[in-house]
Amino acid sequence: MAIGTDRYASRADTLLFITCVALSIAALSLPDQWRDPLAQGLRQTVLAPFLFLQRQTELLAAARYRYDAVVGERDSMALAATFLPELRSENVRLRNLLGLSARLGGGYVSAEILHQPEPTNPLSFVVSAGKKEGVRQLSAVVSPEGLVGLVASVDEHTSVVLSWAHPEFRASAIAIDGSVVGIAAPHGADGPSVWLLELQGVLYRKQVPTGTVIVTSGLGGVFPRGIPIGIVIGPAGEEKGWGRTYLVRPAIHPAELSHVMILNSPRQAGSDLRNVFTVPQDSIETPP
Amino acid sequence: MRRTDRYRYPFILTLLVLLQFTVRSHLGGDRVAPDFLLLALLLYTIRAEPGKSAAAGFMLGLLRDALTPASFGAGALAHTLVGFASSWAKAVFFAEHVFVKGCLFFAGTWVRNFIVLLVSGRLQGSQVAWELLVWSPLQGLTTAVVGVLVLWFFRGWLSPPRRAGVGVAT
Repeated sequence: MAIGTDRYASRADTLLFITCVALSIAALSLPDQWRDPLAQGLRQTVLAPFLFLQRQTELLAAARYRYDAVVGERDSMALAATFLPELRSENVRLRNLLGLSARLGGGYVSAEILHQPEPTNPLSFVVSAGKKEGVRQLSAVVSPEGLVGLVASVDEHTSVVLSWAHPEFRASAIAIDGSVVGIAAPHGADGPSVWLLELQGVLYRKQVPTGTVIVTSGLGGVFPRGIPIGIVIGPAGEEKGWGRTYLVRPAIHPAELSHVMILNSPRQAGSDLRNVFTVPQDSIETPP
Repeated sequence: MRRTDRYRYPFILTLLVLLQFTVRSHLGGDRVAPDFLLLALLLYTIRAEPGKSAAAGFMLGLLRDALTPASFGAGALAHTLVGFASSWAKAVFFAEHVFVKGCLFFAGTWVRNFIVLLVSGRLQGSQVAWELLVWSPLQGLTTAVVGVLVLWFFRGWLSPPRRAGVGVAT
């Protein structure tokens, strides 16, 4: 074992030790009126820089903690703000649905669109209503703005809806004033006009002014008469044969929807739903 | 003593003092976090004479008492006793071994807390038992761990000076 023999306490060490102990005992027995100023003096002189250092460290730590909290709050607010327009839009849509349901009376089923991430989702999508809710195949699917599509297949609690953008979609259409009759079909699958409809089979002698509202005609028995399909925005290229084709801007894009209404009961013959839906404000007026 | 010792030791002790006032509050509860000031004192006492160690302990204890005036004087007495005892015991009994020094740090912390509790008389009954049997050992442990780390990290600076004819291993 290594022993530092030169480190034993000398008499001076002992004396110093006894002095320190005596001073400690004296400090212990100091009255308050002497002790407090002494402690205060030490804090304000010798300890001042260390206390300053400690205070700054605590401030730094608190600032860092607050920074994290502020960043967290900011992120939460940003996230909430991201969804705010969507929530507002959905709220307006739900209010419109409620208004539409009041005007429709009975014979419909409300359903939520179960959006999927696939890019083809607007062509056909699944809704949260099926046989159990009274949905039937080929039922019309509408929104407050107008026609969305039709039910292609029905499961127990879900249904597959073919939107107007699906290549196989067709609907018998008529101008809102009854002047023109045709077939509404998707315009195509390519180019910038992919999300437009066509009004096909218009008689060659008939001119359809831009802005004309096109609604379902009720022919064929699939769609009731009077559901808005869209607004004519112009002729679709050159005329072929004996008929004309017009481009129609759809009343609603499927991707914008979160809820739809499925008309599940047959309407009375000759019933017209034109007064049920909201006609777009930028329609009707024919440009000069 | 090496020529640079006069700079190395104060540097390490100053570092420990700075750690006490900067990082200690972020190392867990106040009763568990390592006591860097006491560690600095114990490191000083390892190589200083008992009288100087007692004086250093007294000064350190008095300054700490200024921060906790409720037990003014108790800290001074406790640090004086611990400083003197550590230096004297180190000279008489302890070997130059890291583990032994770690035990010294642990015991010094526990004894300091014991004396403060005893002299100040602020705590009663089960509180004293909790302090002496739970919190003080924990604080002693953390202080000892930090002390061993400091010894290891600064082993080149804190190793004992070689002297001819002194400290012969048997």
